[in-house]
Amino acid sequence: MPGRPVSLLLIGSLRSQRPSLRLPLAASTVAAGFPSPADDYIDVGIDLNEALIRHPSSTFFLRVSGDSMIDAGIQHGDLLVVDRSLEPRPGLIVVAVLDGAFTLKRLVRYHGRLRLEAANSAYPPLELHQCGDVQIWGVAIHVIHALTRHG
Amino acid sequence: MADVLALIDANNFYASCEQAFDPALIGRPVVVLSNNDGCVVSRSSEARQLGIGMGKPYFQIAAQLAQHGVVVRSSNYALYGDMSQRLMSSLEPFVAELEVYSIDEAFARLPRPRHGDLSAWAAELRSRIRHNLGLPIAIGLASSKVLAKLANRIAKGDRRHAGVFDLGREANPDPWLELTPVEEIWGVGRQLGRWCRLRGIANARQLRDMASGELRAKAGVVGLRLQLELQGVSCLPLEQAPSAKRETCVSRSFSRAILSEQELRQAVATYVVRAAEKLRRQQQCSGRLTVFARTSPFSPGFYSQAASTALAVASNDTAVLLQAALPLVAVIYRPHKRFAKAGVLMQELQSQEQLQHHLLAPLPEQEQQRRAALMQSIDGLNRRYGRGTVQWAACGIAPGWMMRREQLSRAATTRLSDLPTAWAR
Repeated sequence: MPGRPVSLLLIGSLRSQRPSLRLPLAASTVAAGFPSPADDYIDVGIDLNEALIRHPSSTFFLRVSGDSMIDAGIQHGDLLVVDRSLEPRPGLIVVAVLDGAFTLKRLVRYHGRLRLEAANSAYPPLELHQCGDVQIWGVAIHVIHALTRHG
Repeated sequence: MADVLALIDANNFYASCEQAFDPALIGRPVVVLSNNDGCVVSRSSEARQLGIGMGKPYFQIAAQLAQHGVVVRSSNYALYGDMSQRLMSSLEPFVAELEVYSIDEAFARLPRPRHGDLSAWAAELRSRIRHNLGLPIAIGLASSKVLAKLANRIAKGDRRHAGVFDLGREANPDPWLELTPVEEIWGVGRQLGRWCRLRGIANARQLRDMASGELRAKAGVVGLRLQLELQGVSCLPLEQAPSAKRETCVSRSFSRAILSEQELRQAVATYVVRAAEKLRRQQQCSGRLTVFARTSPFSPGFYSQAASTALAVASNDTAVLLQAALPLVAVIYRPHKRFAKAGVLMQELQSQEQLQHHLLAPLPEQEQQRRAALMQSIDGLNRRYGRGTVQWAACGIAPGWMMRREQLSRAATTRLSDLPTAWAR
């Protein structure tokens, strides 16, 4: 289709490529006035990834669905940060593989036996020795809860 | 003690990645299909045990797969690419040097301990990767890269090795070399393989021991190096820093034949957009680009054509590259040809930095920066919200020739909207 213009989304027409010769003159800015007293104290800012995640290559994000962990401060729709490299120990909140799904529970030692507990009295605990094949997929290390709809 | 070379790779990498993020797939047979849902490119061990062949066209075995309850997935490169990076960075602390060789395999160098035994190291590495990433890996150890690759094949081939094989600990490596068919040796191509067979050389041991003059006459220095490596002499260095790419190619087969010039333009535009994205990620600019298209080589009237153009100033600006590439479509297009594949090749790549202060720059510096920022924003949006969020109109909207990926899983590790669900119920 010769002659038909290419239509582009979002972007204005490209300037014609005139091979103009431009010679940069003084490229550096000249410092005028007083230097900022904060110049020597500039920090790079806060990187939440760096602050929250110790093992980036084994850390994954999951989305929480349901209210069974509500008393542990984990709500429906929250973003869960899970580190798979940590050893699951009693007391930790873990992601377990149960019936082919990721399930969020607290690992608890109860009367000498391990079990998975919800943080909501409406859900009964699961005795590990009774659930057959349970695999602990990872340990939840943070939960990120949005306080506004746009969070 | 001399250093050891290791070849570490993930077993059934694509299928393993699928299983790692969909717990419903654990213990079930899974196959992953190539681009366009063409053929089987990865099988979980469960699928292997069912006797599903590698490289089988999907349409031929779809019924068999359904009958066995095999889960079928399209290639999910966002997931595999991310898992590959995680795998490689997890290997690093375990070795002295690492060469990432492909998406799922790496060569490594490490010192051999005084007592010589690396099985504890290997077991620890395997269990760590399995635990942290959910990926099974195999490790081959030897004194050269070619032998490490061969040892890795043995490690995977027999369950009794439990995914690790150390050829350097074998008093007599010959029986193991004899187990390896000559075509399976790393660096032996189809041609050299045939040539060996004609001379009665069937396995790695025979290639190692053949007269080197004869091999040199056929394969030159490369052949001699291969033979030395088989003898345990390390001649192929680890390449730690990937050399800067000199070319970048994006090409795909279509899900159906393309007949119209308009659709071919859309396809080429799509590949240019993709290639420009790659260039920006590599911080490179392209000085020349080639557009090519062909019909199916299996149909009569095979047609294949390419056209090339040089850019006034090397660029990685999508608009500039589109302007250069699209007129070439008219050059290679022929009516009534059923195009099956097209692509673009970005050539004469130069680093972006070198170009920044180009005196002949076509746009004023301020305008250049504005455009660079625009490209950055587009890339950022597409990375964050998924490819195609911001689309170039030249690519067409929901084109029918687009690659088929009907069984695509979610970008579970790279996209917020695609995260796996943790059920609190």
